[in-house]
Amino acid sequence: MIETRGLAKSFGALRVVEDAGFVARDGEITGLIGPNGAGKTTMFRLICTVLRPERGTTLIDGIDSQKDPLAARRRLGVLPDIRALYTRLTAREHLRYFGALHGIPRGELDSRIDELVATLRMEDFIDRRAKGFSRGQQMKVALGRALVHRPHNVMLDEPTNGLDVATSRAVRDLLRRLRAEGRCILLTSHIMQEVAALADRIVILARGTVVLNGTPAELRRATGLYELEEIFMAATQDPAPEEAPPGAATAEPALAAGE
Amino acid sequence: MSAILIVFNKEMVDHLRDGRSILVSMIYPLLGPLLLGLMFFFVGGSMRVADNVPLVVPIVNAASAPDLVRFLENGGATMQYLPEGARGLVMGGWAAFALVLPATPDRTAQTPLPVRLITNPSRFDSIVATGRIIEQLNAYQRETVGGRLRAAGVSAEILNVLNIQQENIGRAAGPAVILLTMIPPFLIFTLFTGGVHVALDSTSGERERGSFEPLLMNPVRRYEVLTGKLGATIVFTLMALASQVVAFWVMLHVVPQESLGLISPPGTLRLLAVVSVCLPIVVLAASTQLLISAVTRSMKEAQTYLGLLPLVPGLAGMVLALAPVNAQPLLALIPTFGQTLLMGQLVRSEAVSWVFVGITALATLTTTALLLLLGFRLYEREEILFPQ
Repeated sequence: MIETRGLAKSFGALRVVEDAGFVARDGEITGLIGPNGAGKTTMFRLICTVLRPERGTTLIDGIDSQKDPLAARRRLGVLPDIRALYTRLTAREHLRYFGALHGIPRGELDSRIDELVATLRMEDFIDRRAKGFSRGQQMKVALGRALVHRPHNVMLDEPTNGLDVATSRAVRDLLRRLRAEGRCILLTSHIMQEVAALADRIVILARGTVVLNGTPAELRRATGLYELEEIFMAATQDPAPEEAPPGAATAEPALAAGE
Repeated sequence: MSAILIVFNKEMVDHLRDGRSILVSMIYPLLGPLLLGLMFFFVGGSMRVADNVPLVVPIVNAASAPDLVRFLENGGATMQYLPEGARGLVMGGWAAFALVLPATPDRTAQTPLPVRLITNPSRFDSIVATGRIIEQLNAYQRETVGGRLRAAGVSAEILNVLNIQQENIGRAAGPAVILLTMIPPFLIFTLFTGGVHVALDSTSGERERGSFEPLLMNPVRRYEVLTGKLGATIVFTLMALASQVVAFWVMLHVVPQESLGLISPPGTLRLLAVVSVCLPIVVLAASTQLLISAVTRSMKEAQTYLGLLPLVPGLAGMVLALAPVNAQPLLALIPTFGQTLLMGQLVRSEAVSWVFVGITALATLTTTALLLLLGFRLYEREEILFPQ
């Protein structure tokens, strides 16, 4: 389970995340959505401990990531927005490298890699160097290195970005399978249909803070709107000078009670 | 396996497959010995030729000193009679030197015969030939004066005040000394370039390509990641050093040695001692490279500074080659400068002070430790993740 409480982060004078808190539960897919510049990537980086918050706490399966970042990272598998691979290493060497960094013994690592190769359909390129990989192949390797240590919590930033229909579907199937295994999945996406189809719980971020948070049904109830896109637009539009964002004032307390 | 070793292994595999890393650490270091070897061949060759062929004496107004001409011819010289234009001949390299005698000498006066010797010391063949003609002219002078003294009933020995006996205890003399003193700057340059591509690519490059962030999301400490990368940089620098030292060894055993004044080239043990002296610089160079990669905003900027870095210690070595400095203990405190002095002494087969060796190594390693601490701190910054 991933839990953030009152996270705040600035870069110089720019306040990127302000008092952001939500819970991503085990056995659920939580969609973190927001407009460009809302602070999604910064939230991701704060949760996976590569950035330090000015205030607030992140708990990964109850472990305070500020106090014990290594233990927190052991329980996290992260697919960042930039897939960046080492072009002179093969796909298998990537998985071995990241698996070894998680302390998995060589024999066990090799069998896990074989499993991932089958799951992610990487047979054709597993022993090829990454130079010249297609976006789909790059994404599969990046996904493989995020999953090789079988993390209980999986964070994916735009997992289907730039992928063809078949690969996108395979990724979605994989996420459903991980959910069925009881893992906690946190994903960001700009594709509303994808979030609507996958997410059990949706967190909408705007201006660095959580403006709406709940199951799709709860969001519909709170906003009186049906389509996720409409809910998103209503929640994230800039507030009028004298009034709060539509839905935000009413939804948050209602959902808090619902949690 | 520790995280340091895992990162180190990955960087080694990665960069052993990288043509640029191999080129910089295995091929570039060969250029120094090749260049120096060519200089040895060129200088040695021209000096050997100049020393063995009969001395050709271009002379103007030879009729003014028939006795001198006869003396030179008896000594094996071939006279080349010139009407005029000796200066242009020497300047153009057509003659190694030229003798110009007066057209109408004052035969009655007891004044010496004015002899103008036109030389061009910018050419090695001219230096050798000029030395030979001056030797012949001095011999002629001694013989003529001796004859006059004997005619006056005085022993020619009266002219000798000193009986000079030279004993050369060095293993090198003449041009060989200068060429051998150029070896340390080449080595220093290699120490600061051998692993540079690995340092640059595994830090600035990794950050720029965006793969640094996923790496740091793993349960590893940043100092472990940096130490693994430092290890790979050190290994590539050592490979560069080894390839250059072996190339120097081959070069010194292949070039014409005697003609340069190289009595015997530095032996294997001496070259191993040179490598030992270099070891602290290997770590210093790698740490400096990683530090510069950390503080620069992009790979391009880091590349610019790292390209200039070897010039700082390298230039000090070049200055030493031209203006030798004695190994004072205070100089041992300057990293790379102390080692340059030591390497110079080792390749010239001179005595080395172990105290100086110890102070030099300690000063360099202390500086390295401070740079590494600073580097570890810089890699803890959040800015290190993101290309700017």
